[in-house]
Amino acid sequence: MRVVIAEDLFLLREGLVRLLTAHGFEVVAAVASAPELLRALLDERPDVGIVDVRLPPTHTDDGLRAALQARRQVPGLPVLVLSQYVEQLYARELLADQAGGVGYLLKDRVFNDEAFTAAIRSVAAGGTVLDPEVVQKLMVRHSRTEPVTRLTPREHDVLALMAEGRSNTAIAQRLFISEKAVSKHAAGIFAKLDLALSDDDNRRVLAVLAYLES
Amino acid sequence: MLFAIVLLLTIGCIVFVLVREAKGVPRPDGLRGRIRDRGWGLLLLPVAMSAAAMAGGARGLIPAELGLAALAIIFAPKLAARLVPYGVLGLAVFGVHLANEYNNGFTSQTQYLFVHVVSRGPAQVPAGAGLVPAEAGALFVVGLWLLLRLDALGSGPVRTLAARWLNRCRGGISAAHALLLIPVAGLTMQLLGPGNWFGIQAVDGLDAAVIDLAVATAALVLIFRSRVWAATLAAAGLLVLGAYGWVITVFWPAVPGFAYGFSDLHNSPVPAPLWTDALEGSILLAAGLWLAPRVMRHHLADLPDPELAARARHLTQRVQTLTETRHDALDTAAAELRRIERDLHDGAQARLVAVGMSLQAAQRLFPASPEAALALVAEAKESSSLALTELRDLVRGIYPPVLADRGLADAIRALALDTPLPVELDLDLPGEVELPVASAVYFSVAEALANVTKHAGARTVRIQLSYSSGMLRAQVTDDGSGGADPALGSGLAGVERRLATFDGILAVSSPPGGPTILVIEVPCASSSPKISSC
Repeated sequence: MRVVIAEDLFLLREGLVRLLTAHGFEVVAAVASAPELLRALLDERPDVGIVDVRLPPTHTDDGLRAALQARRQVPGLPVLVLSQYVEQLYARELLADQAGGVGYLLKDRVFNDEAFTAAIRSVAAGGTVLDPEVVQKLMVRHSRTEPVTRLTPREHDVLALMAEGRSNTAIAQRLFISEKAVSKHAAGIFAKLDLALSDDDNRRVLAVLAYLES
Repeated sequence: MLFAIVLLLTIGCIVFVLVREAKGVPRPDGLRGRIRDRGWGLLLLPVAMSAAAMAGGARGLIPAELGLAALAIIFAPKLAARLVPYGVLGLAVFGVHLANEYNNGFTSQTQYLFVHVVSRGPAQVPAGAGLVPAEAGALFVVGLWLLLRLDALGSGPVRTLAARWLNRCRGGISAAHALLLIPVAGLTMQLLGPGNWFGIQAVDGLDAAVIDLAVATAALVLIFRSRVWAATLAAAGLLVLGAYGWVITVFWPAVPGFAYGFSDLHNSPVPAPLWTDALEGSILLAAGLWLAPRVMRHHLADLPDPELAARARHLTQRVQTLTETRHDALDTAAAELRRIERDLHDGAQARLVAVGMSLQAAQRLFPASPEAALALVAEAKESSSLALTELRDLVRGIYPPVLADRGLADAIRALALDTPLPVELDLDLPGEVELPVASAVYFSVAEALANVTKHAGARTVRIQLSYSSGMLRAQVTDDGSGGADPALGSGLAGVERRLATFDGILAVSSPPGGPTILVIEVPCASSSPKISSC
């Protein structure tokens, strides 16, 4: 799988390159600034771009803006955005085009290399992966709004894991329940939130998020 | 008599018109409005009348000139107003001429303004003639003032000359200037000396010596004690004595002209001494005119200016406010630093120590029990993750990353998204405000939102942000239970202190039962909108 990495801190960049190479990814470009990133994404057309939010030249959210611009030119170009902090505002901007292939994770998630590489593959496959912290904030935000209060605690857990981009199988493993039970919970969630049922994992996540973002 | 009535009526009219104008009363219609439009031009009436009266005898002139003046006032009010200063100056010149005539034996009786000069017989100075030069002088001053006030033709050069004269001699007052008091005192002593003093044989012999001594002593004391007042007196004396020299020259023998400087009219035949009187008077006048602006400037600068005093009061108040807010700001900053230090010490630092210890233990255990070592490494990973979380929270409290990345509007948007309540946003910020102000406003709004979430029991919150004419305004409104008071909770008081550093204010309206409206206003500059570059 071909990967572009954008990270301005040398140690972290090299660490990422080493980690991904060790897991069989092909790093086609490792850049340190937003303009380089944009060029690399458009020229190399990688399977996924791994992007730090804060990049030169202005050291603000240049990385995020470069990723969004690349996605405007190449719709659905898979991008996994990493950051020292997560903001719902940025998550919302990344999800706005509804094209999928988006990830938004805290940098610490790199510590768990299996979950991290799984997230990369999921994004590359067009899935949506949100950091648990973002999901948690979304849930807190809507914990008092009417339909969400109707969810059972278990349905709540399933909804959170869905928003993190996990498949039914992963959710089942995580919650120690059967896959069938997960499907049942999912159906319950969709019914309570008045969302149309869909087979496609990504669409399902987007529907949930679209609802929560509303 | 008739003249005096006309003059007083006209002056009353003009004062009335000017006062109404100064008060900004709108112009009335009808006769009063038309009179008001004429303003200064009305003065042409008494001027014309006195000119006609002075033409002597030919009484038919009075209605003719009054008629002309009235026509000018009615049909060409602006021209009439412009003519007034020249008329007044002309009357003044005529007054001087008249006084001179009387001194030369002209005995016809004439009305000059308020003075009616009555002939007492040939070769005698008529009664009332002494007042003529005084009236002429007053008219001259009034005429000059009107010339400047009405911006009549010729006011420009007068104005320029006056300004140039006043602007001369920007330097201070030196001892040399004060020493000019010596010739002034000397001439005064001579004029006050023994002899016929304005027709009165008052001082003589010992009296004169005493006066001389007193004047000399006073002059010397003044020169040594206060050079400023010595110079002031010298300037005034030079002008008065110089003018007196000219008065002698022009009005002799009506004005007693005895020894004046180097000339002595008592003991010398005329007109040679008159000529030296004029020369001496001119020299003294020139010296006085040279010294006067310097002295005036000095005294004007010393005058307590009410505007300056108000400014000083304002500045004192400002310094007091700044001292207080700076003190508060330093306190807040110190408390903040203590909190950060404690958080780092108990949080991230401790976690990193734990990471090091776990890794050390894992290293030691690895040969004997790789399984146990792996568990320790996992523990270390967990600790470092926790340390990162704590650092993240700490950074958020110091300076929110979104504020750094995107500015105030987006930071408040992010804040609203993190609030577990529906938040309505109305953000209208044309540019970006200075970072310290943005940060203060951000944390103030954050505190307000936290209060709403915790205490208010509100269903919705509304945040408005706007910027107009140098003032950043944020308003947080909730439909909760109300009863918020900055004096009770430390949170809002902290917000107040934080804002005070930037001259900002916090206003809270929170009646029991709600709604609560919290308004923040901070004066600040706003830059042009950030151009997004990527």
